Amino acid sequence: MTAVDERSGRVGPSVGAARVVGQRLAPYLPILVAAALLALIPLRYRDSGSLMGVATEGMLFAAYAVAFNIIFGSTGQLFLCVGALAGVGGFASAIISDRVGLPLLVSIVLAALCSAAIGGLLSWVSVKRALDTIFIGIVTLAFSLSFQNFVLGRRDLTGGETGIFVEAGSDTLLHDRVSPYYVFLALVVGYLVLYRTLQRSRVGWAFRALRDDQLAAELSGVDVSRYRVFAGTLGSAMLGLAGALQAHSGRGFIGPSTYAFGDVDVRVLVMLAFGGIGTLLGPVIGAASLTWLDELLVDYAQLRLVLYGAVIVVLFLGFRRGIVPAITDYVRTRIRR
Amino acid sequence: MKSALLDGIVLGLQYGLLGVGLTLIYGLTGVLNLAHGQIAVLGAVVVSLLMGTGLPAVPAILAGLAVSGAVLLALDLSVMRVVYRQEGETRILLGLLLMLGVGFMIDGFLAWRYPIEQLGLRIGGDPISILGVRMSTGSLLASAITIVTGLVLVAFFRLTSLGRGVRSVIQDEMGARLCGVNPAFVRTFVFGLSGVLAGLVAVTRSMTGPIGANNTISFTVLALIVAVVGGLGSVSGAFLAGVLLGVVDRLSSFYIGTYITTIILLVCAALTIVAKPSGLLGRPST
Repeated sequence: MTAVDERSGRVGPSVGAARVVGQRLAPYLPILVAAALLALIPLRYRDSGSLMGVATEGMLFAAYAVAFNIIFGSTGQLFLCVGALAGVGGFASAIISDRVGLPLLVSIVLAALCSAAIGGLLSWVSVKRALDTIFIGIVTLAFSLSFQNFVLGRRDLTGGETGIFVEAGSDTLLHDRVSPYYVFLALVVGYLVLYRTLQRSRVGWAFRALRDDQLAAELSGVDVSRYRVFAGTLGSAMLGLAGALQAHSGRGFIGPSTYAFGDVDVRVLVMLAFGGIGTLLGPVIGAASLTWLDELLVDYAQLRLVLYGAVIVVLFLGFRRGIVPAITDYVRTRIRR
Repeated sequence: MKSALLDGIVLGLQYGLLGVGLTLIYGLTGVLNLAHGQIAVLGAVVVSLLMGTGLPAVPAILAGLAVSGAVLLALDLSVMRVVYRQEGETRILLGLLLMLGVGFMIDGFLAWRYPIEQLGLRIGGDPISILGVRMSTGSLLASAITIVTGLVLVAFFRLTSLGRGVRSVIQDEMGARLCGVNPAFVRTFVFGLSGVLAGLVAVTRSMTGPIGANNTISFTVLALIVAVVGGLGSVSGAFLAGVLLGVVDRLSSFYIGTYITTIILLVCAALTIVAKPSGLLGRPST
């Protein structure tokens, strides 16, 4: 039938099958390469508990950034509540497992569902009321700050300013020095595979259409509202899952600053803007670069906020699509010459 | 109850002044100034530093207001030029993100260099009794300044040709241009004005309690809530919303509790957006 079949007939059927499998897997190759590179990091920093902690946090933020990329990058909904949605997951999972006493896995799943419900509701309301980007931003920011006030105010539930220690999960591999890194790496790889699969499916096609031109997409039969809500719900579930895993890993401590707007949303926004909004590996590259930069500037913690602000301004003035796409474009045009 | 109500009105006037600066810039250019509180506190820190060198209060305050105004003026003349070249949704998103970045820069700078610098203007004099409630001289002076500023603003926008020019650009930029109004000049003017107003809020707030680097974000958030509830782009709406929210604020922290208060204010803003995006007095956008 096709050229592939003819050639495979000549050299044996297995090669053709391999080629077909290869073609199927080719789009996932960048993920594999990135995962392999990232898997090598613990070999170097295994001995230092604090550096492994930094690397693990970097992976967590990569997971946040991929999830936020699905909401903001794919459907243009400016959710300024990444930290709050992750926090809903984190606190819900901690409370369900420690206070109610359900098994760890069940509580994590329930927590992710909580985040999904809230994110989906925010998305549904903004779609129903046809809110502009700016109003989605304000509504989600209001939710973000309300959540933070709730965490600070309901001491009995969340420990207030002091936070709570999460008991559940302390006997699992999440509390080792090295293995939490691999848990979060697996999470990021899973999210990336999901992102790529979405991109290649009908859903991704609809995302691209509605991002390019909402009216045109609607006219050609794309149910814009449904895909927006879908992206909002899915992304929020991913944020909740990552936040819940964070609550049960490491020192098992979560407080108001773990999921604060200034600590999570700002960083995720910078990471995504740096890596490139709407790209596959952009969020991961952004997370890795910013984590590395943070570690370099660890003695100048005060300057960090100034630097973040400057990065946002420079990025959106000069490289609106992100540094990574700008560089790849440059390299590509060089190679073609 | 009566004292909470009066306190609420005093606080609300300040909220209104805070919202006006934000609402003017958004109405005119579509830029949501998420650095509003940071610029306000920057002015207050300048006043405090100058007064620390022995300068009398009035020239120090004027210098602080000038710095706040100058920062926004400089932003309008540099970074915002890129924003004005964009249209529609892109312009709004770009303006919002750039201002967010500027806000972080000022925030980080203040936390780095002046983490404990605080402006607290102590106004002497005995408390004055109004309707049977004893009010401190500081909060009365702050309210008086705010009310005068509000009246001057309203008069300016109704009576002077520059004020009418600003309103005409808010309504229809092309039409204003045809009538000989220069939109670029109006924008620069309003950015400067908004900066001065931001500085003024920080100064009047410091008459009732100290203002420092940790107030930046709460100022920005309050300005945002007030501007949204009042209707983005409406000056009188901002004052109305400010007073309403101030009263809600005082009453709910009087009867319910402080952490719920912030949540109530935020929910007010969110509900306003969902129910009536144009706010109390804003014109519905087409």
